[in-house]
Amino acid sequence: MSSSESSGKIPGDIPSMAPKMIPRMIHVAVAGQPNCGKSTIFNMLCGMNQHVANYPGVTVDKYSTKMRHKGVEYTLVDLPGTYSFSMFSLEERVAKEYLLDKEVDVIVNVVDASNLRRNLYLTFQLLELGKPMVIILNMMDVAQRRDIDIDVGELARILNIKVVPAVGVQQQGKEEILDAIAAAATEQISTPFRVNYAEFEPYIEEIEQLVPQHETSRRWLAIKALEGDELVLQRTGIAPEKISSINDELHARFDLDVDQCFASIRYQNADVAFHRCAKQTKAKRSTITDSIDRWVLNRWASFPVLAGVIFLIYQLAIVWGYKITDYTWPLLAWVRRIIMGFMPDANFIDVPLVSEFALWMVNSTMALLNYLPIFFILFALVAVLEGVGYMPRMAFILDRVFKRFGLHGQSTLPLVLGGAFVGGCAVPGVMATKGIADERARLATIMTVPYMNCLAKVPFYTLLLGAFFATSMSEMMFYISTVTLFIALIIARLLTATFLAQHETAPFIMELPPYHLPTFKGVMLRALQRVWLYVKKVVTIVLAVAVVLFVMLQYPGVPESSMQQIRAEADAALQTFDAQAARTDLHHLVAEPTQVYALLNMYDTYRSRRMQTRSAEQLEALNAEFQALNPELFILVQGEGSAARTINRALRNLERSGKQLRMQIKQEKVSTSYLGMFGRALEPLTKFSGFDWRVNVAFLSSFAARESAVATLGSIYEQGKTDERAEQSIAADGSYTPIHAVAMLIFMILSPPCIATMVVVKLQSNSYRWMLFATFFPITLGIVASSLFYTLATTFGWSGIEMMRIFYVSVIALTLLLALIKPRRANWEVGQ
Amino acid sequence: MDTVAEKTLLSELSENQRAVIKKCCAVGALKQKLLDMGFIPGAEVLMVRNAPLRDPVEIEIQNFFLSVRSTEAACIKVTPL
Repeated sequence: MSSSESSGKIPGDIPSMAPKMIPRMIHVAVAGQPNCGKSTIFNMLCGMNQHVANYPGVTVDKYSTKMRHKGVEYTLVDLPGTYSFSMFSLEERVAKEYLLDKEVDVIVNVVDASNLRRNLYLTFQLLELGKPMVIILNMMDVAQRRDIDIDVGELARILNIKVVPAVGVQQQGKEEILDAIAAAATEQISTPFRVNYAEFEPYIEEIEQLVPQHETSRRWLAIKALEGDELVLQRTGIAPEKISSINDELHARFDLDVDQCFASIRYQNADVAFHRCAKQTKAKRSTITDSIDRWVLNRWASFPVLAGVIFLIYQLAIVWGYKITDYTWPLLAWVRRIIMGFMPDANFIDVPLVSEFALWMVNSTMALLNYLPIFFILFALVAVLEGVGYMPRMAFILDRVFKRFGLHGQSTLPLVLGGAFVGGCAVPGVMATKGIADERARLATIMTVPYMNCLAKVPFYTLLLGAFFATSMSEMMFYISTVTLFIALIIARLLTATFLAQHETAPFIMELPPYHLPTFKGVMLRALQRVWLYVKKVVTIVLAVAVVLFVMLQYPGVPESSMQQIRAEADAALQTFDAQAARTDLHHLVAEPTQVYALLNMYDTYRSRRMQTRSAEQLEALNAEFQALNPELFILVQGEGSAARTINRALRNLERSGKQLRMQIKQEKVSTSYLGMFGRALEPLTKFSGFDWRVNVAFLSSFAARESAVATLGSIYEQGKTDERAEQSIAADGSYTPIHAVAMLIFMILSPPCIATMVVVKLQSNSYRWMLFATFFPITLGIVASSLFYTLATTFGWSGIEMMRIFYVSVIALTLLLALIKPRRANWEVGQ
Repeated sequence: MDTVAEKTLLSELSENQRAVIKKCCAVGALKQKLLDMGFIPGAEVLMVRNAPLRDPVEIEIQNFFLSVRSTEAACIKVTPL
């Protein structure tokens, strides 16, 4: 059983390796245990030049890169970190399948030098694969700090493969690693160390005979088969009955349990190897980690620390991120102006369709791009938390609460990002569910994050609260912002008890790794990769939906009868202008309709540009620009001189009536549009919640991006009185009471995720069915809940605020009730 | 073959108590996971601390620190040191 007997003796089944040709492309798989600094090494080897994708069929990130070193081309794939190759987690499955199915030329095993013994457990299993292998002994600096003295040469001798010491965070060892990979790929393979499984060896050999010829070593397949690995049994066609009969025989003859013995033998070998090549004077986790954990995981201090971290995320990403958008927004507005500059101008009330379409598309894109600074900061903070090692600790602190509701300790961060307390975004929230080991809890988290307080819902809330609850705004806002977390818990609990009941769950065994300062480069890289994923996947789909919505809002268009009336009013306004202009000696400048349109457009552009100027110099430059553009019309725009002043005054009136008429067209258009018809068709269904077609249209259009709800509702209600704010018009409209408003609030709290969220739900759940479920379940729930409370409120004559209070108390009562009912047992069972 | 000493469960240890693993009674995926993480007979464990809400516990084994739920810790029999 000791390693000295077993090292480098049996040539066995090592694939025959005659002096090798240099392959054109060398495929390298980078493997290692979690927290060994694997991604730092990978980043060091390939820098910015990496490609992120998913492994086929699953949501595990696959980082890969192509590179050249001394004239040879390499493809590097970063396998997910795994402790072993059992079927425990998605990551292990993916890593194993990759090594089994892909033609891997060289395995690079990254090993944490400060945790050598444990890392060797995986190394031995990788060696059994019989592929050329290189070990990268990473974190040599940490090992030194912990007084672990490793004899690298001795380790290489024991394992009989090349060992390269490196310090990933300091970018040390890149050349040596690449040289070692090149050497391993071309040199004739030596016989590496192999674990001797003592009593099991005859059985391993017996199974080896059953294994068909395969890329991978037969010994590895035989060992895995003996361990009862389903994937390997399937691939090799060995009958499971054969394995269980061997197991029974072993049990009867030696009273041995296969799994337990394999693990024990590997650990014993690791122990022997470790003691032969390393001296450790102080067998302790870093004292820094210990003293930090004394506070961070302390019974009393842990919650304030956690609250502090959440507050910091909120402050940095949401508050400061929003401030950054103040600076990036003008940039986007500038781009919009450039694009709109290419579009044909409006002719008074006739806005060309292409311009309207361009404006709609540009606005839809900008609404999403506007969030990029916030996303970037959020993703960077998540990368920092991951790198530091706080994530598993967060899970450790809160697991007990979440477990009760079928979630997982690791659900904390996604919910926080989604806006658990203060407002966030479901997109980064859903994307952060990636790390949750328990498949059922992961799906439940994906389904519940969209219920959190989306930042874009806030304008809608403020609109309604401003209109109906101006005096009790803070109380209402408190209910709205705190009720969401309870709703999420209820839904998670219901889902895991019903639809998700049969889904895989996993034991909560999670490493609490030593704290680690992540590298700046690694954090930036991760944040940029995720932002890019968002742009690529989300923005494209949202734009497609925006096109559909545009068509649905634009057609069939304003009925001819109304249009004639509007045109008549427009003509009247133009005639008034012409009559007033005719009294001046500058009439020749605006005698033709096209001249009037040009003047109107110039007036509009000049006014909006002038509002952006901040200093006298800027204004002067702007004036000069317009002066050069069209000196004659500009005089009229500025209204200098008595004749020009008269025309300018008439122009203002004309502009105002034009705006009113355009608004009227827009309203008529929305009201007769397909979306309007759809909204009306839904009225029989939504009347129980008190929603009329206008509210329905607002909710329907909020689907593309939540901001649209306010814009649409606003534009329906703005009766062309431009100086009146939307909340005033809604309150003055009289068709709604505070009870209607609360029904709308309840619907919005529960309402469906926006398209962007749906796209990431699809990405993370890897299923269209779940995506559809995540869309229609909240809509149904929203309609049911708002109808219920609306009906109750009208029956019992509650006031709006009473209705909200009762809703809030009911949700909390239901949460507590569900917390009292113990969840069913996990579907992995504890034996005797 | 159960002796009195073997009756202690990992979940029953108090903070800062050391023990040696006797037997892993889990089955299936949980057993495989526990074995991979080093919960093998003869290994020494240290119960580091309870979580703030008591439930998961932090355990040191094979020179690393793990968070384990008490239900999972309850399927490992230990001999306290």
